[in-house]
Amino acid sequence: MTEVYLEKLAEFSALLRQEGLAVGLGETADACEILTALDLSDRETVYLALQAVYAKSREEQAVFRRCFDGFFVSVEKRDALRRRREEEARELARRRQEAEQEMQVNGRSIDLREDLREVYVRMGEDKREQLRQMLEKMQGNLQRSPKLYGNFIRSVFMRFLLEQQMSMEDDAAVGSGELDPDMALLYRDISQFKETDIPRAAALIAALSRQLDAQLTRRRQGQGHSGKLDFRRTIRRGLETGGSFYRLDYRRKRRKKRRLVLLCDVSGSMLQFSEFALRFIKSMTEVSESSRTFLFSEELREVDPFALQNMDAFREYVRASGLFGRGTDLGGALEALTRRRPAPLGPAATLLILSDTKTIDVPRAAQALAEARRQAGRVLWLNPIPQRKWPYMASIQTMASLCQMAPCSTLDELARACRRLMK
Amino acid sequence: MEEISALKTGLAKANYICGDDVAATLAVARRLERPLLIEGPAGVGKTEIAKIMASCLGRELVRLQCYEGLDESKALYEWNYQKQLLSIQVQMNRRGADELTHSLFGDEYLLERPLLRAIRSDKPVVLLIDEIDKADEEFEAFLLELLSEMQVTIPESGVVKARSVPFVVLTSNRTRPLGEALRRRCAYLYLQYPDIKRETAIIQAKRPNVSAHLAVKVAEAVHTLRESETILKKPSIAETLDWVSALEALGSSDLTPDGIRQTLGFVLKSSEDLEAGEALLTQGRRDPNGAHCGACDHSTKA
Repeated sequence: MTEVYLEKLAEFSALLRQEGLAVGLGETADACEILTALDLSDRETVYLALQAVYAKSREEQAVFRRCFDGFFVSVEKRDALRRRREEEARELARRRQEAEQEMQVNGRSIDLREDLREVYVRMGEDKREQLRQMLEKMQGNLQRSPKLYGNFIRSVFMRFLLEQQMSMEDDAAVGSGELDPDMALLYRDISQFKETDIPRAAALIAALSRQLDAQLTRRRQGQGHSGKLDFRRTIRRGLETGGSFYRLDYRRKRRKKRRLVLLCDVSGSMLQFSEFALRFIKSMTEVSESSRTFLFSEELREVDPFALQNMDAFREYVRASGLFGRGTDLGGALEALTRRRPAPLGPAATLLILSDTKTIDVPRAAQALAEARRQAGRVLWLNPIPQRKWPYMASIQTMASLCQMAPCSTLDELARACRRLMK
Repeated sequence: MEEISALKTGLAKANYICGDDVAATLAVARRLERPLLIEGPAGVGKTEIAKIMASCLGRELVRLQCYEGLDESKALYEWNYQKQLLSIQVQMNRRGADELTHSLFGDEYLLERPLLRAIRSDKPVVLLIDEIDKADEEFEAFLLELLSEMQVTIPESGVVKARSVPFVVLTSNRTRPLGEALRRRCAYLYLQYPDIKRETAIIQAKRPNVSAHLAVKVAEAVHTLRESETILKKPSIAETLDWVSALEALGSSDLTPDGIRQTLGFVLKSSEDLEAGEALLTQGRRDPNGAHCGACDHSTKA
């Protein structure tokens, strides 16, 4: 293989590494060997051969396809791509210049973060028009009281651009894993599930919880010969064979009992997520020796385990209980939980909170959470809001500083959080 | 390229119908002497690949079935402890302690398990490590030395290097994620259920007496069942073949609602799936004469 090709292959390996694939020198050497040995001339066969070497899971295969298509392109296609990129760069520069002129109050540029300025540049023309119109309407007021209205305009801009930034990030997240419907569902925001997705999601949850159950069972099983020798039993057995230790006995690991206390937000926005999460946790029969489930919105109520047996029963129970559609008072719920006697929490208990942290009276909720943390052995918070949005929400930052918080906006994240539960 | 084509022809001769992706990956794994990790849903033909490769390459197939709690004593080797104990008692007064101890760790007392058998074989074999996801993580870690160096270490007697390099196939149903270290040592293949065209070809290759018409209809029906969200346990290729055999045994040349009702148990294995499957394949598709379902004859559909 010539040096040029080798160099290209090394570049391709570096690209894959950049995209998160575990590609080492070994893989590059293998790719080199296979391209030389098999004399692969058509593109599709080269693709298949390199895929076998580089991609080590179905998820990696999807990344590999994208990288391969982007890297190995014909000269014409590459030129077209370059021309398009240049065009896009020119367009972006023009929009930046326009934005600089538009985002001015009293002849001075509005004081905004650089990333928010970039959001203004990249957002749609209709959204920009909304801001332009608002600025135009404010011109009269600005002349009357420049400082007051200058600040007001800045805060309107900031809020609008932050919302746009979050929605742009959402759009970027949707569409990941489009190659495979199951994989797409695994990485899609649970709140974006449509009615038609629910049976597939339920099947996916069942498969994932089977995976987790299998892992747990293995952890808890006796480790065969790798355990310690049980001398007492071995000697006693040896008596059957005239004192020869013909059969050896090994000690079995003792199972550690754990209690799980679930505190589940069922206020309007949380119902769908709570259904999925509860289904997941309940189906992991091995997670805990025993569990108690409490639902809350404005008040706390312990739920009958039979009501959780299937999703329809759960939905009916929540609607009948009167908890659904009300506001959220996390502080009140946590206080009621920690004051309850006999105490549901304790050093052997893990408190699992399923909530988006949107609650009235955040300081009271934080105080109650600190008390719950003192009582419980461990507190884990499953938050359905995507992690990229956490920096924008003060309540999340407050709660995350008090306990372990895991993002659970997708089924994949939910499964990962449940794995953390086992540790 | 020739190697891939030759392999594909060899597989086809052994009645294994596959796409270019399978042939190319097998060729790559063979050329690089790398283990091949195959993942995919149950019943897509993962294990079959190892069997067919053994037949294509004219090698013996050594199979290790993994399960929870599998350890090196069941997979690699075990000292025949009882025999060693008897030997100590018999020879205690005849030989010196050192000599006796040394003699206890010879081939005579070694119980060879599939992995050791595969690497100590003079002729290269195909080693199938089936359902690796069912084994413990510790066992997975233990396999690393074998898969990367083609050698194993027996503490009492030293390193055993492979006399011949086996073609190793590992299969997994993804009931748990496998470790990065194991994945990195393998070439990777993800198998999916075949499309209608390929499944028809598989039926015709494996059941040559079945009419082309019935083969297509069965493949279409199985495809419908797999696509449906109401069917929890998706039919495997082996179950498709069983279904065709059952229909053939009943003398059916077409997929009729009655035939479906009588034989659906060969392809769906739970009462819920059977109920849903029957509704899916027969309901609302009966033609005015009640003879055929719409799925089995497109002309009656109109």
